[in-house]
Amino acid sequence: MRNRRQYWTLVGGLGIAAFLWSIPTLWMLSLSLQPNEILARTTTYTGFGLIPYPFTIENYVNLLSLGNTPRWFFNSLVVATGMTAVTLVLSTTAGYALARIPFRGRGLVFVLILGGLMVPEQVIFIPLYTMFADWDLHNTYTAMIIPRLAVPLGVFLMMQFFRSIPEEVEEAAVLDGAGRWAIFTRIMLPLSIPAITTLAIITFLYAWNDYLWPLVSAQRQEMYTITVGLGSIQSNFAQTEGLGRLMASGVMASLPVIALFIIFQRFVIRGIAMGPTK
Amino acid sequence: MKYLLMAAGAAAVITQAAPAMADTELVLGRFFGNCEAAGNDPTVEVGEACIITSIINGFSAADNGITVETLPTEWNNYYDQIKAAYAGGNAPDVHVMHRHRVMEFASLGAIAPLTEDELAGAGIDTADWDPAALEAVSFDGQIYAVPMDFHALLWHVNTDIMAEAGLLDDGGNPVVPTSVEELMAQADAVEAATGKDYLAQQFQAGVFGMRTAIAFAMQQGASVIEADSADIESPEMMEAAKLIDTLIQEGHVNVQNDYANAQQAFLDGEVAVLVNGTWVVDFYDSQASDKSVPLANYHVTDFPTLFSQPAVWADTHMWAIPAALKENDPEKFQAALQLLAHINENNASWAKTGHMAVRSSVLESDAYNNLPHRANYAETAANSRDIPPSVRYGAIQDTLTRELLAFWMGEKSLENALSDAQLDIEDLL
Amino acid sequence: MTSITDAGTVTSAPHRMSFYRRHKDVVDGYLFLAPFLAVYIVFLVYPFLKGVWISLHNWNLMAVAFNPDAKEFVGIKNYVRFLWGRDMTWDLTAAWMPRLIVLLTGCAAAYMAMKGQITRRMAFVIGIGVTVVWVLLGFHPGEGGRWYDRRFWPAVSNTFVFVILTVPGVTAIGLALAIALNRETRMMTVYRTVFFLSHVLSVSVVTLIWAFLFNSQRGLLAEVTERLGAEPIVWLTNPDLAMVSIVIATVWWSMGIAMVLFLAGLQGIPSERYEAARLDGAGGWALFRHITLPGLTRTTTLVVVLQTIAHFQVFGQSHLMTQGGPNDATQTVVRHIYQAGFRDSELGEAAAMSMFLFVIMMIFALLQLRISRVED
Repeated sequence: MRNRRQYWTLVGGLGIAAFLWSIPTLWMLSLSLQPNEILARTTTYTGFGLIPYPFTIENYVNLLSLGNTPRWFFNSLVVATGMTAVTLVLSTTAGYALARIPFRGRGLVFVLILGGLMVPEQVIFIPLYTMFADWDLHNTYTAMIIPRLAVPLGVFLMMQFFRSIPEEVEEAAVLDGAGRWAIFTRIMLPLSIPAITTLAIITFLYAWNDYLWPLVSAQRQEMYTITVGLGSIQSNFAQTEGLGRLMASGVMASLPVIALFIIFQRFVIRGIAMGPTK
Repeated sequence: MKYLLMAAGAAAVITQAAPAMADTELVLGRFFGNCEAAGNDPTVEVGEACIITSIINGFSAADNGITVETLPTEWNNYYDQIKAAYAGGNAPDVHVMHRHRVMEFASLGAIAPLTEDELAGAGIDTADWDPAALEAVSFDGQIYAVPMDFHALLWHVNTDIMAEAGLLDDGGNPVVPTSVEELMAQADAVEAATGKDYLAQQFQAGVFGMRTAIAFAMQQGASVIEADSADIESPEMMEAAKLIDTLIQEGHVNVQNDYANAQQAFLDGEVAVLVNGTWVVDFYDSQASDKSVPLANYHVTDFPTLFSQPAVWADTHMWAIPAALKENDPEKFQAALQLLAHINENNASWAKTGHMAVRSSVLESDAYNNLPHRANYAETAANSRDIPPSVRYGAIQDTLTRELLAFWMGEKSLENALSDAQLDIEDLL
Repeated sequence: MTSITDAGTVTSAPHRMSFYRRHKDVVDGYLFLAPFLAVYIVFLVYPFLKGVWISLHNWNLMAVAFNPDAKEFVGIKNYVRFLWGRDMTWDLTAAWMPRLIVLLTGCAAAYMAMKGQITRRMAFVIGIGVTVVWVLLGFHPGEGGRWYDRRFWPAVSNTFVFVILTVPGVTAIGLALAIALNRETRMMTVYRTVFFLSHVLSVSVVTLIWAFLFNSQRGLLAEVTERLGAEPIVWLTNPDLAMVSIVIATVWWSMGIAMVLFLAGLQGIPSERYEAARLDGAGGWALFRHITLPGLTRTTTLVVVLQTIAHFQVFGQSHLMTQGGPNDATQTVVRHIYQAGFRDSELGEAAAMSMFLFVIMMIFALLQLRISRVED
């Protein structure tokens, strides 16, 4: 009895905490549903602004019919999807080689790649900028996707996963005369779908939320990702767009990642828990 | 995921294959903000964003075989972005810039010099430009851009608050202070009568506070910064910084305001005077006639002269063409010149924002001189001053702003702030 | 690390076999690795080396773009420019606060070495590091001297302050919530989702929300304080509170990841330990103190190191919420690099400062590697 009561006290307490924690997000949602004329004067019109009254969907209508937000949304989708797809290919092949192919120089390659974990984007964005400038590639999806592909985290994630698959699985296939590529595509890959999903979601989230590199590489507004675009309109001199529309853009920028997270949260959480710990 | 990929791929193909029309396409870079609702007719629009958009739209819509794609960029990052674009080899074909950046862009060979012949060929008569405008776009004896305006800080006034404080002249217009004492007396009167702040302006996240201080220093005859020397620790500069500090200390101005909050305080009728630019005159005028906006009676005048000589911060917006375009693509260069000519033609429409025109023919026209409030700030053009152009202008103005703000916010003593600014700027020069 | 196994490879190699058959593993290995390795070398290794190269030049962003010969080799001048000043002196009392912290770290390491909690070699390495840092911190401009780049070290110090405030906040809240939520019921799963959700938002969404929450005239927090009868607090434009503001926003943003790591760590503590302790009559606090905390030592260290690495590179929050201000109170290392490169066009200096960032990142990464290895 006492335990039950304790449990429900905990549930109640945490409920309050969870509500407080979500206030910023709910506030954004609520502001996006209020008219700009009111928001110009106060952001706390009804119920500290948490209740969208007076209510309007005008901000969303404007957002979709005018302005750059849909375009930015689309750019983010292309960049994040492209980056995810290629990262999966590179990470699974390289991870497999490091985990299961005993070749000369493997240790050396491993150390070389391990070193890459120490070089974050923030350290090399200046030289990367000059490289893509020399190649005349700025303001392209290519420029926004490629540099991130070199980050070796996915390789290590996949390598760890492949190592955890029992050797016997592979040995049986070798006895059946299967080649390495066949083993990789028909046995290893299907077995690692959970790990691949995890890597995919994490990469997608990263790509969607990346800020510094797209800020530097995309100088044309039409090529902004939603993260960079939203950053650019919030530091706007006079906020010509209106706060409601700004918040609507914020909601739009967040919906895909929130949806993705809620659908795949098992994988995200597992990815975080297994990624860097080992 | 597979379908998503396919959809994304398909869409990418479609968007990249789209523009295959015969029109020459010009890419234009600018700030001024977005205005999606603008049409083709600048005469019916209000505000910088909508007026410039409609001028450009008018050019695109005209039957000249040229369409313009605008890349609006936000003001805060404008020069970072445009420099990055130049360095990345994809600068816009035409872009706006300021007088203070001409030296940097021209000396590095980024923007193209424009000869009299080229300009005349496109229908731009440089003789019609005000001499100061010609000087603004010139570097090393050559013209590098087509000027669009003079803009400066003005004294935007809420007449109702001034009336309550008894600060109207016989004609019913707000009195403009002519000395520090008068300014302080006005501030006290406003506070006594209404309890409201006397002044608002941007101090945070921007350079206006610094510009006001520089103007007050220059009004005392200080040079502040010369081409290769700086005199930040002058008594004039101290006096100017202290004047603003007194206003802050006595609660007449809120040093916490950024641009948006300062403007909002003015529109909400919370403050008697707003220091802001020429670019908002028509906007405030339209807001004042809007019943739902507390600001009801709007007046604007020249920035006050509190010391021995008039001086106010000012700059020029102008349009330039990248040197690379002139060299590599004569056809596009001609198209860009035509666009510049069109903007030049529309000088009167642009001046509707409140900016001062650059063409003598416009400056002398009745239509221009009869624009609302125009007569009240007729002196501004003649009083214009700014720190000189420099290749490090951006860093210099950031330094000055930072150090002055450190003093105003009580972080540093005046002496320390100014001597730090002095040393930093010497390093930059 | 697991040892390399040769299972499945053909070791008998008669000479009539083709080159491929004889060197199957090597060929396959590099073929599988090739795509990633190519990208890795071109877009990570090469840029890194090019960064070193740029850092040794006077390299103007636009000038070099128009004319590749416009760069000038200047050796280590760029490094001297941000690390050093003129008329430098050294004394005992300069920067005493950070130096005291460094000294205390050294003492802690010595104590742990004595207790046998860390190896002597480790203690030796820490000792050297502490001494070097302690000595270096004693340098400062003397009478009439000054730093060549007066904003660099304050930016470094701000970044450290940001990290020192953010990491404990994230860790403490993450730990508390993980312990509270470590039950497999539906409500708890829902709560976990709610608490984690803010982590998937992008930096510009986070700054958008918080910049307006903190807005001193129209913001939610100002309204709350006003209704409580107090003056609205000025957050973002107050030099003392600006950093705190972006720390609050950052803690809200990145707490989720710590919570998840702690939840994973909690799953790893065998429940028998709790049961045994309960039989001994241990209460809630004793359980936490003697079983939960020791069981989470490794996870905690990991969370701290990962968060430190992540937050040392802070850029977006300060760039978007405060523009580094007021009075540079929130200027960070990465924003300083960004400004040197793209506001002042000095790519050489920017690249040199990137190398400084790299050295710090490397120290943290080695620390992380070390911890992971201990774990294995």
